[in-house]
Amino acid sequence: MGGYVVRRLLLLLPVLLGVSLVVFAVMALVPGDPALAILGPYATPERLAELRAELALDQPWWRRWLDWLAGVLKGDMGRSVSLERPVADAVLERLGPTLLLAAAALVLGAVLGLAAGLLAALRHNRTTDRLVTLSVLLGISLPPFWLGLLLILLFAVWLGWLPASGMITPWLRDPGAALLTADVLRHLLLPSLSLALVAASVIGRIGRGAALEVLAADHIRLCRARGLTERRILLVHALKGVLARVMPVIGLQAGFVLGGAVYIETIFQWPGLGRLLVDAIAARDLLLVQGGVLVLATAYVLVNLATDLAQHALDRRTAAA
Amino acid sequence: MSMAVTGSPASAAGLLRLRRHPGALAGLGLLALVLLPALAAPLLPLPDPTLTAPAGRMQPALSAGHLLGTDHLGRDLLSRLLWGARASIAVGALATLIAALVGGLLGLAAAWLGRLLDGVVMRGVDVLMAFPYLLLALAIVAALGPGLGNAMLAIAVANVPFFARAMRGAALDIRHQDYIAAARLAGHGEPAILAREVLPNLAPTLLLLMTTTLGWMVLETAGLSFLGLGAQPPAADLGSMLGEGREFLTTYPRVAVLPGLLILLLVVGINLLGDGLRDLLDPRWSPPRPAAPAQVSPSRAADSRAPQTHEHDPTPPLLTVRDLGVDVSGPEGPLPAVAGVDFHLRPGERVALVGESGCGKTLTALALLRLLPAGVSQRGDVRLRGRTLMGLSAAVLRDLRGRRIAYVPQEPLTALDPLFRVGAQLREARRAHGEEAAYTTQALVRMVGLEQVPGLLRRFPHELSGGQRQRVAIALALAHGPDLLIADEATTALDVTVQREILQLLRRLCDEQGRALLFVSHDLALVAALCERVLVMYAGRIVEDAPLSALLRRPAHPYTAALLGATPELGRPDKALAVLTGEPPAPGAQLTGCRFAHRCPRVQRVCRGDEPALTDHGDGRRVRCLFPLEDPA
Repeated sequence: MGGYVVRRLLLLLPVLLGVSLVVFAVMALVPGDPALAILGPYATPERLAELRAELALDQPWWRRWLDWLAGVLKGDMGRSVSLERPVADAVLERLGPTLLLAAAALVLGAVLGLAAGLLAALRHNRTTDRLVTLSVLLGISLPPFWLGLLLILLFAVWLGWLPASGMITPWLRDPGAALLTADVLRHLLLPSLSLALVAASVIGRIGRGAALEVLAADHIRLCRARGLTERRILLVHALKGVLARVMPVIGLQAGFVLGGAVYIETIFQWPGLGRLLVDAIAARDLLLVQGGVLVLATAYVLVNLATDLAQHALDRRTAAA
Repeated sequence: MSMAVTGSPASAAGLLRLRRHPGALAGLGLLALVLLPALAAPLLPLPDPTLTAPAGRMQPALSAGHLLGTDHLGRDLLSRLLWGARASIAVGALATLIAALVGGLLGLAAAWLGRLLDGVVMRGVDVLMAFPYLLLALAIVAALGPGLGNAMLAIAVANVPFFARAMRGAALDIRHQDYIAAARLAGHGEPAILAREVLPNLAPTLLLLMTTTLGWMVLETAGLSFLGLGAQPPAADLGSMLGEGREFLTTYPRVAVLPGLLILLLVVGINLLGDGLRDLLDPRWSPPRPAAPAQVSPSRAADSRAPQTHEHDPTPPLLTVRDLGVDVSGPEGPLPAVAGVDFHLRPGERVALVGESGCGKTLTALALLRLLPAGVSQRGDVRLRGRTLMGLSAAVLRDLRGRRIAYVPQEPLTALDPLFRVGAQLREARRAHGEEAAYTTQALVRMVGLEQVPGLLRRFPHELSGGQRQRVAIALALAHGPDLLIADEATTALDVTVQREILQLLRRLCDEQGRALLFVSHDLALVAALCERVLVMYAGRIVEDAPLSALLRRPAHPYTAALLGATPELGRPDKALAVLTGEPPAPGAQLTGCRFAHRCPRVQRVCRGDEPALTDHGDGRRVRCLFPLEDPA
């Protein structure tokens, strides 16, 4: 276990370096003068000259990348033109709500998906199985942004049960911790569900296959030969086996949830990093885009590290890639 | 795409089967439903989708000249939907094509052009795949600027790593095939090999990947448009229509709901078709049949007749099996794999069930536990201490399994749950029937001779040797001191010295604890070292039941004789091994008469009449043969 963790942590370093290189390189795709692209057509010549010096455009690319990376490591991602404040501050401020949304969606999606997959495998080739298979097909074909709109229409507009936008009811005054938590959870439910249903479909599809495989395994039959209860066989042996197989897919779905947050935060006015990115792109605020993408991609890399470690904890036979 | 299909005969044949796949057909139908009107949009009598009419905004459906009404600028909704669908499909398909071409070439180059390039490409792929793909696309659009073309390019680039990785894997598989080596030996150059052998074989894989990713691509480009980063007004695709309609969600939901619904239909159709293609390109797939319901035991199972015992039996039997049959469901109905199995076991008796592989030994063993897999059913009666196991509730059966009858399987590698430590599995087996396990964990470990293995209980099954794993499996079976142990080829997967050890262990555990053993094996030499009585099984029937010594000295059934003749003896290297020619009949074969007749050296005409019964020959021997060797009477 210890050796695996160390190897996996060491592997993290080149991947994160590569991620930073890609983020840096993508911004080099900007046609024309980067300083002009960042500051926009109304920038003063003095400010343009100043930024060109700041970006060190006369230096070779690797030098600029390393300088930028050194800045990032010190918490300096440059200054946002549209927000007129440091990129790092703006990104960190919005990171919390996005992580909350993504975590809620991922947990909800994993639980729903695993339950559906197990249920379908237990009722293999029967009505329940067919219903799950059909729902899963619809789920992976759903545009998540459309699902979000439908949920708003149903639960916020027609039924009026849940709020349609924001994270906290604006007119709450000194609500206290319990009330505030309840308020955030109410706001969280629809956006996280919009992402979770799609993630659950992918997890359910893989989970069903994994459960069929595990339930047919010799050691499950031998658990029966030993007289273990069906409940224990299912909830201890089969579930652990399925979880170990599905864990990498849950990690991949973290990528969908973090990326899909861009849509969902826009629809639900969720004050997260995704919405910040959309606004930054509209404002051509390239340094802000760069910082936001870097932070979200890093979060994804870390979640994948966590799911890899979890898979190794469940199944010690897995080795570092 | 048509080139890719005709490139490989296998895939062409697969595509022909498309009409037998209901899912793929439904997908094609859905696609046609969306695609045909979208393709025909320029020919249809539709208003210009960009024609605004401020006076006629938000007209309801079925209003004059507007089948689905108009949007917030008075534009015809149906016309916009169809033109939008055209744009969405075109952009999604183009992105898929670019990603497949670039990714496919990169993957092929990585697999074919040496380790250095492979390393560079794959590290790049790793890093790009470390991004949530939507974010990568977003960053690219941010750099290039909004627009449908840029959005399409961004989605394509974000999916290149996926194609590169998959195609590299497929190309590496092909590279190691024999026919590539053969083509090289035949003196073909690399370009010729690539063109003639590799590309045609890669084409089905690439086609499949494209179909299964086309759905994502349509969703992702629509997403970018939804955010306002794709199609710019007045041009529109389904995503940007949805994005514009969002503002009027509460007042005119249809303007936002309809484009989303169309995306859903389109992507469901693509995904159904993709799943169908994957099935059809998979050689193991066969068209669905009405599923045979899996049943465990039909009603005529329980036999009310009192269990028969041998007249000269001193002790009442522990296990009585009467007229046991096992049916395996096949495509043309159930096939009888085992039939008419009759035998009994006295307490403490060690009996072997011997036969060639495929003769029904394991099915018989599992039927005794009522543990046959789904799709396999059993007939007849199994009684433990006179109590029938047929028709018992699952809870009662569960209580008997592990406590009264225990089972040791053939393959120690798969017998233990790979994800749990040995200690946890032993503890679990001991607690399976309340807290009254017969032995402590330590006692069990000592009993199977594993007390010397350091840290045994903390180990996982894969950290043990095959013999150690089989000892653990035996310990698990013994936790409750069962009356009967069924060992199903329990030593077959082990090497010879370990086999001997396990054999001694089983013998000791039965002797010391007065436990009956049913030892299922194909190896008469092993049986001779362990058992007192032998049941010889052939083609699902018991053909001879005799005490070990009598059987070895004087086999009565010609099949037993053939088995003995094929068993090497230690110290007699000169013994000529008689090899039995021919194959046992298939389970479903329509045979009259003796099932061994077509391989039997003593066969006579009457043997092909009625099947002989298992008849008593005195001396505790029963034989299913009309002309037994050296009749002992």
